Amino acid sequence: MAFDIRADDLVENPTPRVPVSLCIDTSGSMAGDKIRELIEGIGLFYAAIDEDDDAHDSAEVCVVAFNSGADLVQDFASIEGLRRDVSISPSGLTHMGEGVNLALDTLEKRKSQYSDTGVLYYQPWLVLMTDGQPNGDRAALERAIERVTSMVDSKKLTVFPIGIGSDADLDVLGRFSPGRPPLRLQGLNFKEFFEWLSKSVSKVSQSMPGGEPPIDFGSIRGIEDL
Amino acid sequence: MRAPKRVNPLDFVSPGGRLLIDTSVFMDDRPERRGGLKALLERCGQQIRLNDNPIVIPTDVIEELTRQSRKVDPDREEAIRRAGVALGFIEDAAALKLMRTDIGHDATHYADSVFEAIFTRYANQYDMCLIINDITPLLHVRLLSASSSKQLVAGSLTSDGLVEVESDQTLYERGVRKLRRKQDEGDAREVAALSPLLADFKGQFGTAEPVDRRPGATAARASIGVATVRRRVEPFDGNAPFRGADTPIEVASIPGPGDKVHLESPAGRGWVVLDELLGEGGEGAAYAVDGDRVIKIFDRDHVTRHRQAKVEHFTSRSLHSEGICFPEAVVTNEAGEFVGYMMPRARGNEFRVIMNPRRFLKAFPGWTKADLVDVCISFLEKVSYLHSLNVIVGDINPKNVVVDEAKNVWMIDADSWQVEGYPCPVGTPMFTAASALGRPYAESLRTMEEELFAVATMLFMVLITGQFPYARSGSDGDIARLVKDGNFAFQVGERSNRDQPEGNWKYMWSHMPRDLKEMFWHTFHRDGNRYTSPPTADEWLRAFRRYRWWLGSDKNFDPMSNDVYPFRFKAFKPDTPILDCPQCRRAHALVGEWSEATQEHSIPDMCFDCRQQNRPKCSDCGTPRPPGALKNGRCRECNRKRDFGTCERCGKETPRRYLVDGRCSKCQTGTCKSCNKSVLKSDLSYGRCSACEKRAKALDPSRLCTDCRQPFIDFDHIEWFKSKGLEVAKSHAAIKKTCPPTTARARATTSSRTHRAPRTSPSPSKPTASKPTLQQQPSLWGRLQKWWNS
Repeated sequence: MAFDIRADDLVENPTPRVPVSLCIDTSGSMAGDKIRELIEGIGLFYAAIDEDDDAHDSAEVCVVAFNSGADLVQDFASIEGLRRDVSISPSGLTHMGEGVNLALDTLEKRKSQYSDTGVLYYQPWLVLMTDGQPNGDRAALERAIERVTSMVDSKKLTVFPIGIGSDADLDVLGRFSPGRPPLRLQGLNFKEFFEWLSKSVSKVSQSMPGGEPPIDFGSIRGIEDL
Repeated sequence: MRAPKRVNPLDFVSPGGRLLIDTSVFMDDRPERRGGLKALLERCGQQIRLNDNPIVIPTDVIEELTRQSRKVDPDREEAIRRAGVALGFIEDAAALKLMRTDIGHDATHYADSVFEAIFTRYANQYDMCLIINDITPLLHVRLLSASSSKQLVAGSLTSDGLVEVESDQTLYERGVRKLRRKQDEGDAREVAALSPLLADFKGQFGTAEPVDRRPGATAARASIGVATVRRRVEPFDGNAPFRGADTPIEVASIPGPGDKVHLESPAGRGWVVLDELLGEGGEGAAYAVDGDRVIKIFDRDHVTRHRQAKVEHFTSRSLHSEGICFPEAVVTNEAGEFVGYMMPRARGNEFRVIMNPRRFLKAFPGWTKADLVDVCISFLEKVSYLHSLNVIVGDINPKNVVVDEAKNVWMIDADSWQVEGYPCPVGTPMFTAASALGRPYAESLRTMEEELFAVATMLFMVLITGQFPYARSGSDGDIARLVKDGNFAFQVGERSNRDQPEGNWKYMWSHMPRDLKEMFWHTFHRDGNRYTSPPTADEWLRAFRRYRWWLGSDKNFDPMSNDVYPFRFKAFKPDTPILDCPQCRRAHALVGEWSEATQEHSIPDMCFDCRQQNRPKCSDCGTPRPPGALKNGRCRECNRKRDFGTCERCGKETPRRYLVDGRCSKCQTGTCKSCNKSVLKSDLSYGRCSACEKRAKALDPSRLCTDCRQPFIDFDHIEWFKSKGLEVAKSHAAIKKTCPPTTARARATTSSRTHRAPRTSPSPSKPTASKPTLQQQPSLWGRLQKWWNS
């Protein structure tokens, strides 16, 4: 009796969720190999989630792209409901603040759906990827930074700031993440990053020694590029 | 001791009865029993044919007799011969319609013995008599008879075709003797099945404990009861103090595929080559050995003193028990260093396939509720046995328990179990009691209460296929907090709670028997009387065995209670009408609703789902709504979603018609007329940004009053003169001001002027007609002061 696919998907799976928000830069400078490899990396991320029994039932992914505006490319969905044919043509500026705000708004909406239906969830993840520096509305950027850092402080969000290539502004990325320094990906090793990310999703529900969930940048092979 | 009673089997071949015979009766070669089967048929034959109610010889019995008849054992020659003879005997009796052999495991899938299953299921339907020699079913039938509305008897066959039924006390003593024998033989499975049965039996009939005549057993110990008897398998030290922090052991090498490792156990020692890698996990790798054994080799980080000690403790006792992967041998590398252990190989699926309806339906498509209850019983038998040995599983979670298709449960990951003061170093928040949350698991020993919380959680999540007991709507998803709150949302009786999670979970809960719901409620709810002392594994075992019986009994009046996924609440009473849905045709989908007013049941015209489906749906979200609740084809929420937008600057939800360029009215921008900068409209004052506004109100320091040599005119005013093409005034007097304050009155005037300035700044330029008025009545302040002084 599937009269509402989205609601059914939400309530029929009792597994606690790990909401993962990918907030990606699609400005003009991302054109070419960068965007191609990033999209390949996301595809690999989806495939890895699909194959892993734990991640398959727990991961919910959302994709926000930002350039001269912000666009919800993929609203939160389980792996079965994700659109796999993502195509993005980069252009325009880097409105990072607007992008992060949209990602956070989308996350808030999903969280309230979880709450309404009684679905459990682990601390949500925000993966923020850019290859440049923000040049959107200053106030929107400050507001985004304020929102992210206060959520991180109250343990309501885990943020992974990723700088792509040598032009990425790590200072701004660092402001989003007071605890964990941003990671610079050189040589476009998206594959390794997304592989690690999917493994980490599956680890969230595993037996643990107690205390904080084990999220460890150190296990990424590209860590030398930091 | 009372003499056995003799029962005439004729009473059980009438239409409301059933007569059943077990394998052992056919193979009984005791001379005093000879001729019993013939006498039985002579007694009952006529009546059997008259009522067409043949004696039931289950398929399983035929199979067992066939197996037995093929055996070669000089000591049991007569019994084996009799098995062969019995097969022909039964075949002929069946041809004469005196016996039937068509009932058995093919039609059902019971884990327990076929007789136990038949008796449990039909306990309230038929008067039944079982002819059998084995004590375990005799105990079971007697126990069932205590709560059944029908006559249930079991006993052995005498040579004159009667059934000899023994007293409660005799049965109990036979049971205890068998238990002791099995304990001495180390048959953990039998022990785990028999001990709770005997405990129940003793509780029901108040039987006395027999004297233990085994060497070494003291009378005092034996009289304490079954609980003591069970401890014959020497338990570990349940009071061993915490051993402190674990430390790694440096080893020369971690053996990998193709490497030789050494095994050592009390049974012997030897070398084996690791060849078939089964898998790698977070702690190490597993290799298959001899088909039904596994060797776990730890990785370097997990070769620790605690693990070594635990493995040595387990192997030194030579513990073997079906479904429990006890370490059997210590595994060392070629340098003789501890690197892992050997254990039995568990087969089947991790419990987590049960914990998700989609996976569950795929893995076990034909299962009913009874199958899930069987899984719980099997799980509890293992846990009960481990607890009797003072072993605490610790990290009970859906990945550490395995179930096969025959519903046998396996406990794995022995090296994490808590034993002899060595803690279980890991845990899973959903299965962690509030008292153990928030600190590292390795830093202290788990209490039995914490363990039993995990057991209760697991049972709940198996029965309801994965939903967490503390899931509730309106929470922020924080598992640890939900556990700590202890606010169990599922309701029982008058204790209502409206925050049950969405979905069919509430129906699954509704169909559980009341006593079990009470047990869960009292365990999980902070107001429950078992919240701080959860039921023991044996208590649960009794409750689940009762549930299993209830499912097959006529007390279970709602057929949907047998389904894993009911889609409506349980029918209220046995006489509630239950009908199929005329629209979707699903069986038992409708139940009558009792009306006090009319004193009869009203039957809904279709099931809930169909009613929902027939309702108009919101064109945006697809949710069915009652007629009239949709506006423009959409529900309220979706209309709101359409009509409201988020201001892209401040994030405030605002009706779309008030959003201009994606922003709310407060976040609109305008241009400052002075500096041409773009600023928020709300920050503009008379078209100017606050900086320009402030500047305009300042006195020009370069222009001094010709009378008093003080700055006297603000930039705004200067601009006004210039804009009119006039010469800028040169003194206070020229702009209707007085020179710097010398009197209170003058000061008041000046300050009032400044006060009013933002709103009346153009006032000095007002037509001259107003000037005399201004002059006559200098200010409101002045007038007020005058009024005050008067």
